[in-house]
Amino acid sequence: MPKSINLHPFTVLALTAAVVTMTTAAGLWWLSCAVITVCVLVAGWTGHLRRLAVLSAAILIPTFASLLLIHGLVSQQASGLIAVAGPFRVTEGGLEAATVLGLRTAVLVVAGLLCTLLISKHQLVAAIDLSPAPPQVGYLLAATLFLLPHMADKQRTIGQAQALRQAGTGRGLSGWFQRVRLRAVPLVLASLQDAHDRSSHLSARGFPAAGSHTRLRTVADSVTQQRVRWISLLCAVVGPTAILAPFWGSA
Amino acid sequence: MSPNLLLPEETSSQVLRRRILATAGTLLLIGTYLVLVITQPTGIAEGLGQGVALVTFAAYLAAAVMLLVAVLPDLPVSTLTLIPVALALNIILGQFVGSVMVPLYLDSIGTVLVGFLAGRRAGAATGVLSTLIWSLFAPTVLPFAAGAALVGFLAGTAARFGALRRPYLAPVAGVVAGVLVGVVSAPVAAFVFGGTSGVGTGAVVAAFRSMGDSLLSAVTKQALISDPGDKAIVFLIAALLIYALPKRLSGSFDFIRRYRVLGQRGTK
Repeated sequence: MPKSINLHPFTVLALTAAVVTMTTAAGLWWLSCAVITVCVLVAGWTGHLRRLAVLSAAILIPTFASLLLIHGLVSQQASGLIAVAGPFRVTEGGLEAATVLGLRTAVLVVAGLLCTLLISKHQLVAAIDLSPAPPQVGYLLAATLFLLPHMADKQRTIGQAQALRQAGTGRGLSGWFQRVRLRAVPLVLASLQDAHDRSSHLSARGFPAAGSHTRLRTVADSVTQQRVRWISLLCAVVGPTAILAPFWGSA
Repeated sequence: MSPNLLLPEETSSQVLRRRILATAGTLLLIGTYLVLVITQPTGIAEGLGQGVALVTFAAYLAAAVMLLVAVLPDLPVSTLTLIPVALALNIILGQFVGSVMVPLYLDSIGTVLVGFLAGRRAGAATGVLSTLIWSLFAPTVLPFAAGAALVGFLAGTAARFGALRRPYLAPVAGVVAGVLVGVVSAPVAAFVFGGTSGVGTGAVVAAFRSMGDSLLSAVTKQALISDPGDKAIVFLIAALLIYALPKRLSGSFDFIRRYRVLGQRGTK
């Protein structure tokens, strides 16, 4: 059973932004590995390790393979030649570039996904509603996150209904197109009709309501967390500038 | 739909602020793109390359968010309720197509639908929101928010100028949109991620690199191969879905009526 973390969603987001920007600016392989390790440990402690591993692998395996193809196999660097065969040219610099770029992406993916896994979507919607963001943002986020499983169910039901009436059983590309059409058209038409019906009800109730309004769900926050958020945001902006300043000077 | 009588009218300062935000977002996007294309920074994996990645990421994301903030308060409720459906369609249809091993994405179909039904501002907002919400499951899409906004914007523009009045015009508009989106998104792929995130697209970029192209040039050529075809199919499917809508539903959108988006088809 995954543990829940009693932090304000914006605190988790701000910390993630600071970690990702500063690690990217530093561009050190050992720092990237250390950040990924810490993320894995946090995921293990909170019970999200398996999901984090599956989701990260789905993104990072093709990314690493692609970077190895682009930088590792057809390097344009002159020095550090390892092997040459036809159009392929493997150099130490090329492999190093592929690794550094892969680790840069890995930090973004692993830290970003951990952030998503740690934040409760209900808390995130509540936090956005309580923030100065336009009220439409909270509605759109909540509606999309809660509509997704509903529409996925609807799509499965449509697929089952079409299978029962033995429609869309053809093979090959034409059969695939027929299946897509038989699922997509009813799904889209029904969803647009639902959205149209909802809009009249929302409009009649004065949506989007401006100003403060009562929410039953509270979002845990404290002065310490607010300070952590501000410091994290400051680090996300000032940190990379400070790290990269010597390079700007030399350039 | 009639204007809401319960909400206060917006002031001229609010309208001005939104216009400034939209202009600033567009200028930031164009400025970043031009600087990257003109300077073509090298050494993206070391030293200043990290700075280029961060600046590109931040500028493209900030431009997209500015455009979203400028557009969002202006959208009518009928469009606001349509956007979540479009976002869910992007994800569900994208996953379904991905699960059957067909080399298409179709993950912008909802964005294009909103652009066709509610106009370019709504399309652009849907593109940005779609990327922001999808980034909760795949953080690497975050800097592509501006490209997604452009897809929605171009879909709305195409619909406004008659791309839905004839079925064969929609895929033509899709090809043009694909070229523009590919060109705008290429610097993000090149300078933030050092290439592409798929093995197939990576192989194409590697092939161009082996012919001596720079990274930006190779990624741009790969995008010009992949994106126009995908967008042509997405635009065609979205157009066919809109033709299948009941007239009372498609006619309920002010954009469709005002610009006679469906031409004779909408009046039959």
